[in-house]
Amino acid sequence: MAKVYDAGVKEYRETYWMPEYTPKDTDLLACFKVTPQDGVPREEVAAAVAAESSTGTWTTVWTDLLTDLDYYKGRAYAIEDVPGDDTCFYAFIAYPIDLFEEGSVVNVLTSLVGNVFGFKALRALRLEDIRFPVAYVMTCNGPPQGIHVERDIMNKYGRPMLGCTIKPKLGLSAKNYGRACYEGLRGGLDFTKDDENVNSQPFMRWKHRFDFVMEAIHKAEAETGERKGHYLNVTAPTSDEMMRRAEYAKEIGAPIIMHDYLTGGLSANTQLAQWCQDNGMLLHIHRAMHAVLDRNPHHGIHFRVLTKVLRLSGGDHLHSGTVVGKLEGDREATLGWIDIMRDSYVKEDRSRGIFFDQDWGSMPGVIPVASGGIHVWHMPALVNIFGDDSVLQFGGGTLGHPWGNAAGAAANRVAVEACVEARNMGRELEKEGKDILTTAAKNSPELAAAMETWKEIKFEFDTVDKLDVSHK
Amino acid sequence: MSRSDKYVGIDEDMFGGMTTIGKAVRDARVFQLIPEDETCKGWNIQGIDALLDKVNAEWDKYGCLVSHLPKELFERHQRIYGEAVEKAKKLGWDGEYETYSDQ
Repeated sequence: MAKVYDAGVKEYRETYWMPEYTPKDTDLLACFKVTPQDGVPREEVAAAVAAESSTGTWTTVWTDLLTDLDYYKGRAYAIEDVPGDDTCFYAFIAYPIDLFEEGSVVNVLTSLVGNVFGFKALRALRLEDIRFPVAYVMTCNGPPQGIHVERDIMNKYGRPMLGCTIKPKLGLSAKNYGRACYEGLRGGLDFTKDDENVNSQPFMRWKHRFDFVMEAIHKAEAETGERKGHYLNVTAPTSDEMMRRAEYAKEIGAPIIMHDYLTGGLSANTQLAQWCQDNGMLLHIHRAMHAVLDRNPHHGIHFRVLTKVLRLSGGDHLHSGTVVGKLEGDREATLGWIDIMRDSYVKEDRSRGIFFDQDWGSMPGVIPVASGGIHVWHMPALVNIFGDDSVLQFGGGTLGHPWGNAAGAAANRVAVEACVEARNMGRELEKEGKDILTTAAKNSPELAAAMETWKEIKFEFDTVDKLDVSHK
Repeated sequence: MSRSDKYVGIDEDMFGGMTTIGKAVRDARVFQLIPEDETCKGWNIQGIDALLDKVNAEWDKYGCLVSHLPKELFERHQRIYGEAVEKAKKLGWDGEYETYSDQ
């Protein structure tokens, strides 16, 4: 017989389980997927999560007498079955807004995903979603510029923007790295990007790289008459050093910089985003480490939460997954967090894994970046799925073109423009994609060669993090 | 023992030269900076880098785009690259290989 777990000297549900509670508009709401230890009643463990992520202690201590516990406590107000999985359940918890410092996603996460995740009564715990009340949203700085301002800064309208990560395998020196950027931008890309691993290693120090890349941008702009950018990665060992690199990027005229918001940390990210807003800079966000947090379907933090946290902390671009291609994610779930990035109001939609209505007030949106394992044959689907307010980022799908970087860039630019034109004329992109690309390739040998290079590829990996209804 | 700083030559390079240096050698043949039978085997990094500079200067005249090349250069490019891609495919190269390091 399984051991019955003794949750503690005081039953949490006496204080924190409140099924009769109606959440207030100002409450911060959270949905946790809870996998309890054997024998612990659902109501008790839900109440324990509410307690340990808010004001709870194992026993009543003297500080409870100094605060208004009934006001500040988290309230577990509902539990639900997880479709297809009887080892766990959803617990819905409401937190009063005054529990959190204004404008601090750091403070919110410290409470909601702090000590409670090591709590012994739990076998596993996953934060599935948060409803940030609009009153709290408006205390956060949010994206430095937002989608509409970015389009004005970059002078790009009516189509998805195109990007490419320059891989260090290309090599060699900052000079050759800058050349690869130039070729991509000259060929038709809007952005090139530092690989997230490229910070300021001995083989290519940051300042040297920034200088060569800016030279590439100026040359490409002069020759194409278009605004160009490169995500200069300012992620650094300290926030002081990060700011030093950001200041230099601004000084040399870069329109956009880049930060890794999870490895770099949310305090640093929020600081950088506020600085970008004050200085008219765009901020591209990479998400290294997200899979550590969001990949396990029973433990960690769902990416839709990390998406909301980033929008509040601040970023103009965020990697979203591609839906199609080698690194595809669950289509419905991905579409759910793309809405969370861009829309001003997102309705609860369990078919997309969205547990709460989310009102973003007047906070600008974040542009989703579809990156990795994609190439020209994916273009019709990408344009259809992501729409215009997106960055489609082809790494190997640009640099892997047998004729070189500029040819790869040109192929993608011709393909995206052909797809947008076809869409605008009412054609069905995913159904007519082959015809649309084949017609465009008649006038673009670069696109024809790309279609020849990648046409046989099929990606058939299964996704790990599916919506719960698919986890049967 | 330290790694050799000499280029292996385009014929011995991965998939017959589907690499950054391999493309530079091939482009140098297109622009007739080197004879078409020059593989650059045994060249050191400075030699390759200098060749790359010359290749880049040629590409700059045409906006880096194959479709901007004049007819004679375009036809030579098509022939040289067509043969290279055919050879690379026989050696197992394809577009999927190029997206392995995507994230």
